[in-house]
Amino acid sequence: MKRLISLPNILLLLGSLALAAPTFAQQYVVDVHGIVCEFCSYGVAKKVRKLDFIDPSQFDKGVKVDIEKQMVYIAVSDNAALDKSALFKAIESGGYKPVTLWRIAESGEKVEVQ
Amino acid sequence: MRLPLKQFKKRLPFGFTFGALSISIASVSTLAHQPVMDMAPRWNSGYGVQTRIEHTEAKTTTWLEGVYTFKPSVRVTLKLPYIDSDNTDRYASGTGNAILAVPLKRYHNNGAFTSNWGITPSVRMPTGSSNSKDNDWDTGLSLSYSSESRSVYQLYDFYTLDDKIGIDINYGFVFADGKGSSWFTLWDISAQESNDGERILTGPVLVYFKSNTIVRAEYKFAALDNDDVWKGDSISIGIGFVY
Repeated sequence: MKRLISLPNILLLLGSLALAAPTFAQQYVVDVHGIVCEFCSYGVAKKVRKLDFIDPSQFDKGVKVDIEKQMVYIAVSDNAALDKSALFKAIESGGYKPVTLWRIAESGEKVEVQ
Repeated sequence: MRLPLKQFKKRLPFGFTFGALSISIASVSTLAHQPVMDMAPRWNSGYGVQTRIEHTEAKTTTWLEGVYTFKPSVRVTLKLPYIDSDNTDRYASGTGNAILAVPLKRYHNNGAFTSNWGITPSVRMPTGSSNSKDNDWDTGLSLSYSSESRSVYQLYDFYTLDDKIGIDINYGFVFADGKGSSWFTLWDISAQESNDGERILTGPVLVYFKSNTIVRAEYKFAALDNDDVWKGDSISIGIGFVY
């Protein structure tokens, strides 16, 4: 038993737990005017998914659209930086009007991105 | 020979009518305006194809239609009909005249509301088969307004093509499932006047969207039928895909 709770084993266990702990992905949300139907969301999601900083492993291939609140959620890859200008252009080319961009903090709080 | 409306209705079995309503696409009075392509694709460099069958007592027309959206405000559409009719005095069976149109739109997006004003010049080309009854070039113009909120859709379209002038109104409700599909349950009123007379058709429209697929069905009752060519009620069903 003493062997099991030796210092090296404890360190190994802690290290394993640290590696397994979930990391919070970069998530953003955009207020998009006019996006009121499922078909509206199809075009916007199609354009946003083509951006190279999108993380396709989250949401629905990196994008989630809430037509009830006219919000578009996006996930950004850990090793990439969000390009606000490119994101807004993609939404506009999808036929709708992006208004405000927020970053979603780990706490769930929304912080506006200028 | 012109059959009375009651006789025409007897020819349409109940099951067929409702079966058609459950799978379909596009307005019967499709001339210069763009019923389904009015909605999609609304994104840059988008394109789509659709086919639909329009059945009246006088003829059955199968349309093959395509759209390319350069940007939401500028599209080009092409519609090619294939006509099947026993009335060879009036209609030539075979390929009909294609309609090329350029819908130009100005969109407004505000909160949970989107709307657009549109102007659509069009030209009907004499692409019909050699026995076609109309081998002229014709021009048309459509002025439209449509809007959509989370629950209500409406479309008003004034159009003219050759000797025809008309209005098409769609109004109804939208239901989204939050998982990528929507139902539109609309009521349509179409009125048209031409050298052949005038008619008013009205009836339900059902539209279903799922991902890149659009299905639309219409049944129109002939509320007024003083048109020498038009024959009673009509059914239109179809399916389209956009990319």
